[in-house]
Formats: sequence, structure tokens, C-alpha cells
Amino acid sequence: MSLEQLLEKTYGFDSFRPGQKEVITAVMDGRNVLALLPTGMGKSMCYQLPGHMLPGSVLIVSPLLSLMLDQVSQLKKMGEKSVVALNSFLKPEEKEAVLRKAGDYKFIFVSPEMLAQPFVISRLKRIRISLLVADEAHCISQWGFDFRPDYLRISEVMAELGSPQVLALTATATKKVQQDILHYLSLEEPNIYVHPMDRRNIAYDVKRFDTREGKLEWLKDFTAHYAGRGIVYAGTRKKAEELSAVLRQNGVRAVFYHGGMEQLDRVFIQQQFQNGETDWVCSTSAFGMGVHVPDIRHVIHFQIPTSIEEFVQEVGRAGRDGQPSLSTLLVSPGDEALMNALLADELPTRFEAEAVLNSGGDRALVSDGVVRETSFRVLKYWLSRMPLDKTMQRMENLLQEKMNRAARMSGFPASDGCLRSYIAETFDQEITDRPSNCCVNCGLDYSMYPVRKEGEQHSGSGGWQERLGRILP
Amino acid sequence: MSFNELILSIMDRLDGQRTVSAPFHVLKGKKSGQTIQDIGYFGLHPFFGVISDLQKGTYDEAVTQLCEAGLIEQADGPIKLTEKGRNRKKVPVRLDGWTFQGRERLFFARLSLAVQTFSHVRAGNPVFDPAQTRTDIQFWVKDYLRKMNFSAPESYAAFRSQLTESLMLADCPDRSKTILVDRLSGIGIGGLTWRQISAEYGISEMDAKIEATAALHAWLAVLREEGFPMLIPFLEGVLRHSPLTDSTKRTLRLYKEGLSVDEIAAVRKLKRSTIEDHFVELAMNDPAFDFTSFMSREAYERVNDISKSSGSKKLRDIKEQLPELSYFQIRLALSAGGEQP
Repeated sequence: MSLEQLLEKTYGFDSFRPGQKEVITAVMDGRNVLALLPTGMGKSMCYQLPGHMLPGSVLIVSPLLSLMLDQVSQLKKMGEKSVVALNSFLKPEEKEAVLRKAGDYKFIFVSPEMLAQPFVISRLKRIRISLLVADEAHCISQWGFDFRPDYLRISEVMAELGSPQVLALTATATKKVQQDILHYLSLEEPNIYVHPMDRRNIAYDVKRFDTREGKLEWLKDFTAHYAGRGIVYAGTRKKAEELSAVLRQNGVRAVFYHGGMEQLDRVFIQQQFQNGETDWVCSTSAFGMGVHVPDIRHVIHFQIPTSIEEFVQEVGRAGRDGQPSLSTLLVSPGDEALMNALLADELPTRFEAEAVLNSGGDRALVSDGVVRETSFRVLKYWLSRMPLDKTMQRMENLLQEKMNRAARMSGFPASDGCLRSYIAETFDQEITDRPSNCCVNCGLDYSMYPVRKEGEQHSGSGGWQERLGRILP
Repeated sequence: MSFNELILSIMDRLDGQRTVSAPFHVLKGKKSGQTIQDIGYFGLHPFFGVISDLQKGTYDEAVTQLCEAGLIEQADGPIKLTEKGRNRKKVPVRLDGWTFQGRERLFFARLSLAVQTFSHVRAGNPVFDPAQTRTDIQFWVKDYLRKMNFSAPESYAAFRSQLTESLMLADCPDRSKTILVDRLSGIGIGGLTWRQISAEYGISEMDAKIEATAALHAWLAVLREEGFPMLIPFLEGVLRHSPLTDSTKRTLRLYKEGLSVDEIAAVRKLKRSTIEDHFVELAMNDPAFDFTSFMSREAYERVNDISKSSGSKKLRDIKEQLPELSYFQIRLALSAGGEQP
């Protein structure tokens, strides 16, 4: 059976998306693979389909709990029954039960923290793991924008798990980060698949303003004129709430989303966006994962992100249906200062480092609010390997690296060249064939984007029986 | 009933007896001896644990507001209602916190996933992102749906009509029911966030949450009393199973009919001491147990004071100091005080 036939038979798709077949073929050839596939290109298929051909189980290391839960539910939605997630949500007895019959599962998702537990390893050693997948593999690199020290454990346990074949997946990785991934996962003779980062159907716009109020006025006009759906990345939780309120006052269907909301509220916002009950979501960077809306037409950055990687990831949520979509970055004086302040603030402080060192890495520091979650993670890792001063030196270097990335981001709106090329160059790629609708500097055709139809206001509440009647007709 | 009204209702019952922080512990559902005892003493069952995630800051803010509105005298120290506070227009309390102790949330989580599933299955689109991410809830609902033969049109119709009919019977304002249904989702219809509900009805998020809890309690009371076969399974683990022995339950039933201890003993052909044991068991398991038909509140307090100050729970020691009380009364006082005699 050909790969296409298997795809059709298993999932009912008649063709692969760009890149998938290349990666799957390399995996089935028994190679270690590093694959760079842009967000939304169906990365998970690269291990799902091999999972049906390989004996034994596929072990997927996933760095974020929310991402893991989403992947599991997406796999289940596609009809995969043999899926399980090992994470800190499980009660000890549930974990034990899962591990006892781990070999019965085709796809086992695991958090890097779990891989550090000898008990988990001893159980996983007993089963046959045909493929180890490092998802979001850029997290393994301290130069990546999302460094997760726990990820380095993958290499430590690989030998114990019988050195299985490895597939490293990521959407964004510069050359430097790619080298780190290969090095830390000790991938010998790897097959590296780099899909062009460029999303041809997304055009890039930049709007400059003298004041922040100017941004707000523009946003009001834009959302009043153009149809959604769209995401407005606001920078902070407070700003996200504020922007959504302003848009609503202006008669536009807008809601906000951020990590400070309770779980069910977040699910509800995703539902509303998916159903088309709202046109705009104003949010922090927390919004995106778990959102499976193919026809997002606009991604607007009200505040400049701190790196091109982050920017590309967020913009990449637009236009998964292949239709023309637009990324708009709004800038005003003072943005850069705010961004730099944000970066410096993110960095672990000497005070935090001393607290971690003196406590011997007690997690209570996080729950007590003495040390921030991300600081704790990074500090605990480095302090267990080097003295305080060296660690702080590393933090300095890290800040410098972050500043460099931020500078690269700042250069984006300042550039008068092709913005698409600017992004590609960041990832050591080049654009050979520019689409006609490219960027604000090459020329933009706004008529590509549908304008808003009036009368899309939501109907007022008709009481509980009316609503229940709509839910259960 | 708003958050501030809720606090004031508790304060009203504790007026002059407890400090301003006591209602906080009641609302949070603190399981300490003092709070539990106060529940029985002051009849605070409706309020117990209805806002288990209440933050102290939120509570203090509301107390300050009550103070500024001239409903209570002071924001710390003992509770003192003002004249205005005592004569306020009273709102009926429709909560039943003691019975459910937060488990109404389990009920609603299961129910909302079942509703979402029925909604999608009926539309012929059984693939969707579940609103409930907890796997234990998902397993429970999956199991329930299978047992109920959920894909049959009759099951859908029964579920739908029983849902509507039972909610209609719930004794609470329509708006509270609407808030609850706003928290349900189905195909093409997303749930509403607390902030959206708050904006829709012009009330605070906290007030909206309290209304939803009240609606759940009222609804659960209906489901407990009336037979709605499609919905009864949802009560599993939500209604606490009585820890009482069957014999004690029989005694309780006769007691509620108005029979005295001796009469119960005669009817049941049991010794009086056995019936007394039943009452001690009742007092131990139900902090709301009303002992005042067996002894005065003063007697009860004296027993517990002596027990506490002497550190002794020996019945004879207490009896020596309180010869006018029977052993039964002393045992009852100690059990109701949360101590094992």
C-alpha cells in the first residue's frame, strides 16, 4: 500500500500537505529526522501515520501541558483510540494504571518532567518504543525563545529507552537552534527537512502612529470596516480586556482571552470564535494553541512581539485555509522601550538565583511567589551545573541574546525592504518567488480582504428555555 | 441574591456573636470545629462552602462596602449590624451549601458535557472539542451516554424534555436559570464567560456565580425529589450518602414525625438506651442536629466548656459537676460539639 492509500484509509484524506510526505518517508526509512514545518501544516501527521506502520509505541515528548492536552484531543477527534497522556494531572494511581499497560497504547504523550521520574523510565523501558518524537524541539536550545531545561533530559533518557529512532519537530528554528537540537539529541546522520517558512497567502502590513491613541483609532476603524475573523495580540491581559471593550462599544463583535481566565471561560471563548459568534479575539500570546479555525483573515499586533519567532508563530494562525490573509503590526514611539523593559523583567534576578540556591531548588518558592515559574525552571537547571556567579553570567548572556532577537524584531517595521524577505532571512532562507500581494513595502492590495456586512449583531437573550431550545432543538 | 446580601444574611444570624471574619470561613466551607459548630448553632447551612474559592481580599472589599453603605457598624472585630442593616429588605436564601458542599459543580460539569454531546450527536456531527477537559468527567459521561443508549432519538427526546421540565420546577428566579443555561454549550453555540454574563445582566461576576450556584441547588433539590430517570445518574456522588445506620435512620424518621425517645423505643420495641445511642450518632454526624429539644443551649455550652477546660471527656467527671444532667444529655452535648465522647 502506498503512503497515500494508507492516509486515505486511515484518516480519509486524499493527499498530503506540503512537507508531510517527505518527513514520513524519511522516518519510514529509519532515519533520525529533524523537520521544520510551519505552524498549521499538520506536524502531528508526521508521527501519526508512521505510528500505524511501525511496531510498538510512539513516545511523544511535549513541553506544554495545554499543548499536550490539545494534541491528545485532536488525535482522538481524528479517530485514534490508542492515545494516552502522562502528565502531572494524573493521580498516582491513574499514572500507575496507565504505565502498567503502556505497551497497549500506540501514542504515548509525556511531559519532560515525567521523563525525569525513575519509576516512569523503568516502566517505559519494558515496552517497545519505535519512535521518539521531540515536539517543539526548539525548546531544547537555550538560544531558542522558549528554552525548557527539562527538555535536555530527553537526551539523558534516550539510551535507557534503547536509543529509539528520533523525530524532532519544530515550527521555528534558526540555524543556531537547529544545531543545538541536533547536538543535544545526539542525532547522527540526521535527515533535515526544512520547509519554506514563508506562507504565501499571508501579506505583511505595518502601520506607524505618533501615539498609542492613534493605534486605537486605527483599530476601531479597521475592525468596523473589514470582516473578521481576526486576532488582536494586545501584549498584556489588561490591554486585551480594554481593546475588546472599546471594539464592542464600537458595535464590533469582540471578546478577550488571556491566561488569567478560568479554564471553562477560555474554552467558551474558543467555542465562540470557532462558531463565528464573535469576529475578533483580543488576547495575550496565550490564545492560539487549541484554536482550530482555518479562516482567520487577520492577525493584528497591537504591541510588537519580542522576537521574529514569536511573531511568525502568531501570524501563522491566519489563513490556514490558504485564502488571502493579512498580518498588521502597529507601532508607535515607546514600543521599543516597553519591549526592552519587558525582556529585562523576564530575566531571572540575582535575588531569585540566591533563593533557589539556598533552598536547594524547593518548588515552594514558586507557589509562595518568591521566584517566578520560568525563572525557577531556568535557574534550577543551571545552578545544578555551575556556581552562582557563572549562572548569573549566563543570564546576562541570555538577556543579550534576547535583546538581539528583539532588535531583529524592531528592525522589521523599520525596514523599507521586502518584509517577507526580512522574515525569511531571519531563518536563513530566501524568497525566490514573491506573491503579488506581498507586503506594505512591495505593494498591498487591500481589496483582497472581505469587508464587514452590517447586521451581525447578536440577538439578545430570549430566556433560558429559548437558549436551551437552540442547544437541544 | 448578591454577594453583599449573602454576607449580610450570614452576619445577621451571627450579630454580636462572632467576628467579621466568621462569614468568610462559612462561605469558604472551612471544616474546622468552630465553623462546623456555628453552622448548627446559627442555622448557617444554606451558606456553607458556597464560594469555596473565595479570596480574602474580595471578601474584605465587600465588608468595607457594607460598612460604607451603613449596614454594619465596623469592618473588623465583632459583627454589629446597624439599624439600617437589621431593617433591610430581606432576600430569600435559596442556597443549600451544607447538602452539596461544592459537589454541585461536579453535577454541572457532567451535565454540560452530556448536553454538548447530545447537541452534536443529534446534528449528526459527533466530533467536537469537549468543554470539559477533566478525564474523569469525560469517562463518566462516556459511560453514562453508553448506558442511556444516547444515539437513539427516544433517548435524546427524553433527556431534553426531562432537562427542561426539571429546571422549570426549580424554585429560583428565571434569571438565575438563564445564567446557568448561558454556561452550557452546544453545536454552533458557545458558552458565555462570566464576564459576558456580568455585562449582559449588569451584575458583578461574583453575583452571577452565586446565582448560578443557587439555581443548581434548587435544581438538584427537584432532581432529588422527583423522578427524572435520565437525570438521576448525574446525582451519583453529588448527593452525599448518609453515613447513618439503617436503624438510626428509622429512629430519625419517627423523631421527625414528632415521637419522643420513649415513644420511639416503644414503637420499635427497643431499649431506651439503644434509641439514645441513635441520637448520639445523629448528633455526631450532623452538625445541624438540633439538640435543643433535649437540653438548653446553656447546658450544652456548660458541658463543652467543662470538657474543654478540664481536658476531660469522661462522662463521670462532667456528671459530677453537672449532676442535674443525664448521661444521655452529656453524651449528646459532647457529640454535637464535635467531640467523640
